[in-house]
Amino acid sequence: MKTLQTNRRGFLAGATATLALIAAAPSLAAGKTLNILSHRVHQTSLGEGEADLMAAWKQANDADLAFTTFDSNPLMDRLFREASLPETEFGVGYLVDNRPTSEIAKLFEPLDYWMEKDAIADFDDIAPGLIKGMTIDGKLIGIPVRTATQALFCNLDLLEQAGFSAPPATLEELVAQAQKITDDKIATGMILASDLAVFPVMFARAFGGDFLTPDFKLLPDAAAMEQALTVLAGMFANGALPRSYATTKNDDQVTWMQQGRAAFTVLPFARAAQLNDPEQSKFSGRITAVGFPVAEALAGKTPMATVVEAWAMVIPTNAKDKELAWSYIKQVASPETTLGMALNGNGPARVSTFSDPKLVEKNPLAAIEAEALANGRGAFPPFPEAARAQALFLEEVQLAVLGRKSPAEAVEAIAARVAPLLP
Amino acid sequence: MRAETLLIRLGKAVAVAAILFWSLFPIVFIVTSSLKPGQDIFAVPPQWTFQPTLQHYVTLWTQWGVFFRGLWNSAVVTVGATLLAVIASTCAGYVFSRHAARWLELSIVGLIAVRLIPPIVVTLPLFPIVNRLGLSDTHLVLIILYATFFVSMGTVLMRTFIDQIPRDLDEAAAIDGASRLTILRRVIVPLAAPGILAVAVFVVVFAWNEFLFAFIFTGTNAKTAPLVISEMIGSIDGVDWGVLFAASTVQLAPVLAFVILMNRYLVAGLTAGATKG
Amino acid sequence: MGVVPLLAPVQLLLLVVVILPSIYVVWLSFHVSSFGQAPEFTGWSNYLRVLSDPAFRSAMWNTVVIVVVAVHLEMLVALGMALLFNSGIPFRRILLVAVLAPYAVSEVVAVAMWRFLFDLDIGPITLMMQTLGLPVLEWSYDPVHATVMIVLLTIWMHLPFTFVILYAARLAMPSDLYEAARIDGASRMQCFWRVTLPLMGPAILVALLFRYIFAFRMFSEVWLLTGGGPARSTEVVAVYLYQEAFSYNAFGTASATALLMVAASLVLASGYIWLLRRQVKNAR
Repeated sequence: MKTLQTNRRGFLAGATATLALIAAAPSLAAGKTLNILSHRVHQTSLGEGEADLMAAWKQANDADLAFTTFDSNPLMDRLFREASLPETEFGVGYLVDNRPTSEIAKLFEPLDYWMEKDAIADFDDIAPGLIKGMTIDGKLIGIPVRTATQALFCNLDLLEQAGFSAPPATLEELVAQAQKITDDKIATGMILASDLAVFPVMFARAFGGDFLTPDFKLLPDAAAMEQALTVLAGMFANGALPRSYATTKNDDQVTWMQQGRAAFTVLPFARAAQLNDPEQSKFSGRITAVGFPVAEALAGKTPMATVVEAWAMVIPTNAKDKELAWSYIKQVASPETTLGMALNGNGPARVSTFSDPKLVEKNPLAAIEAEALANGRGAFPPFPEAARAQALFLEEVQLAVLGRKSPAEAVEAIAARVAPLLP
Repeated sequence: MRAETLLIRLGKAVAVAAILFWSLFPIVFIVTSSLKPGQDIFAVPPQWTFQPTLQHYVTLWTQWGVFFRGLWNSAVVTVGATLLAVIASTCAGYVFSRHAARWLELSIVGLIAVRLIPPIVVTLPLFPIVNRLGLSDTHLVLIILYATFFVSMGTVLMRTFIDQIPRDLDEAAAIDGASRLTILRRVIVPLAAPGILAVAVFVVVFAWNEFLFAFIFTGTNAKTAPLVISEMIGSIDGVDWGVLFAASTVQLAPVLAFVILMNRYLVAGLTAGATKG
Repeated sequence: MGVVPLLAPVQLLLLVVVILPSIYVVWLSFHVSSFGQAPEFTGWSNYLRVLSDPAFRSAMWNTVVIVVVAVHLEMLVALGMALLFNSGIPFRRILLVAVLAPYAVSEVVAVAMWRFLFDLDIGPITLMMQTLGLPVLEWSYDPVHATVMIVLLTIWMHLPFTFVILYAARLAMPSDLYEAARIDGASRMQCFWRVTLPLMGPAILVALLFRYIFAFRMFSEVWLLTGGGPARSTEVVAVYLYQEAFSYNAFGTASATALLMVAASLVLASGYIWLLRRQVKNAR
């Protein structure tokens, strides 16, 4: 009894000491601290401890990095609120490319001045499309740092069981394969989240249409959108999309694929590692990615404009130490750090990084990803009412997929309801 | 007659089994899932037997240091908010119990009416104020917020507890020359202790699990455990469910232990309070 | 020392944290405001915009339905359980702890668990229902089932609160009243209607009122479980408000929504508030 008590006290003391150590850790080093508002993935792709890509920078600048991390949407909200204050503690924020409207852009430091003063190495290598996305009203407000390019993921084992030797080359093949796998009771054909515009937009683009073009044309090809919704509704009605479609989220896609409950899904290329992680996945090494296929009628003619989401680093206009913030951005955007992050699974913003031998060796999908990225663009352009427009679009898509509305009616409703929100 | 008692007993047994299943099944599931190897967590059909592993707890410990710091922050905030709420509610409850006046009566209805305002509403204007005061990302701001959203309920409950204490006691003390504060400290607080503990349970559970305010008003330093857990569910780099369930179990354990430890006082305290309402 | 210093902490906290910010919200509800944009006066147009939005009206309707059904159902179950516990059952202490346990679970964790337990394809509960030949809750497809699921989850999370208040009230009732009633020849049912219910009335009222207040602003249950879907059919007012404020950054309409929400919850709870006031008066 006595020993037990000592042990417990010893354990408590140990735990307290560890907690104290953890709490004290940031104060051990450095004269300056750069506060960064980001998603956790931005922090982890920079590496930690031994593999810290920023170690040299930290030493050279006698500075430490303090990351405050949130999930995507909350992160944007927090970033905008911080940037609206008279002064913020945060020097650098990470911004998604579908958010910067003219109003939002005013909250962030124009970076052209800093580029002239102290330019980023080999700046032209950063994909021009991404730079354009961060140039608002003629001012560059963010430096692209991460791309997430959507790919079609396939479980090769399940495909083989249904008698398919290769991933689909056209959208029609994809639908047929998904249906066969469903009908043979091997698995559910495909799993897609219902709360993101990405997926219906991809299907519409496969038919040569779109939801909203970069120059704000709503439904440039209404027939293509109708075809897309018809296909999705058909898949749902025939069981190739699960009954739980309307409440499926992004994370469900990953677990379904890992468990072999679905044969196909659409996720960013970077998810390949997680889908094949032997710790979590029952099909480790058997889940591969290809570019999302276009419809037969377009095959070989129009390349697929897959959905790409990009993140950029920004400096709030009310930040305190902009000098240090720019120095950080410059380092992270450099070719070496970009490669280092890519090796940690970050989708690079530099074109040349994709063909770097080290990355090609580590990530066999790099070439396919580079190709998809070359033709890709955002799901829709940023504008003040974009979030509301997306919600309306998704509501109509869900109604059509669940069979509560005909695809034609849904397309009509999208046109009527979204149009008043456009800038 | 005997058949009837048997039937009643059987009915009770079924009811008890249903209650147990309803209350505990989801919790048991979280805990067992945290001990399953990663691949088995979402296995179809669910695996009821498995080789228990602590791997998720190891991962949690090695990779999510921020979670344990979050637990510490939660603890600091919970203790602070509980003390503040309990002291404020006891003082106010005492006044409402012992003094009758039209404005007091209106003010207690006002207390409840104010509570109708959803917390999410006040976050918009509070954010710039908190920043201006330099309170953003501190324990203090959460302590104040959590306490505030429980003082109205705390006051109503404390009033009913203190109503149970015979007035003769404080009148006697007053005749002996005790000040109001002394009466409160020496007479009321000891006698209303079960009630105070009951109020404390409500605040502790709320403060320990609260998400919205913590999410809006903290960043790095005062980030609480539920926030870290929700970040684990975040979408970009995927969820490691095993670690998530391990973290949930660790986060749940202390407050569950506290509720279990306090259930005696909770019921006893509310019994004293509820006789009159 | 007067009574004011003793009341001050509570009043001060409420003033600074709730009342003053609320006044600002009232002001904001008459303005158009977003990030990077100075507020601009627009009169009643935010209110008109919200009230004429079919999504808001359906959210309000959903909220009222869920609140009324969930709170009263929960009250009935809690009352039944309180009486069951009082009638003498074995292992009462342990059972009490079991009943209280869900109260300690945070919303984030509770929802993650329920989503999985009721998963349409692999959820253990769904599979169990199937083996027993019972109907499956198609909560991700059918709006009515989704509403049922939200009601169940909300009851799971809050039943302990209601139960504990009612159980405590039942324990506090003097047993001699029952003996007297029995001697007078009252039946079980008569005892319940004439003795139990009136004596527990105040506790029921307090529990109902607090549950009304909390349930009306229900957010996590819906947001994390169904996200308001399928196709916005289960959206509640708090979700609508959250979307306006934090997804669309329309602070003016968000403020107007908030005030409409407070007004609606006051109307819904007004009966109980009136009863409580009368009680406070009678107690004097």
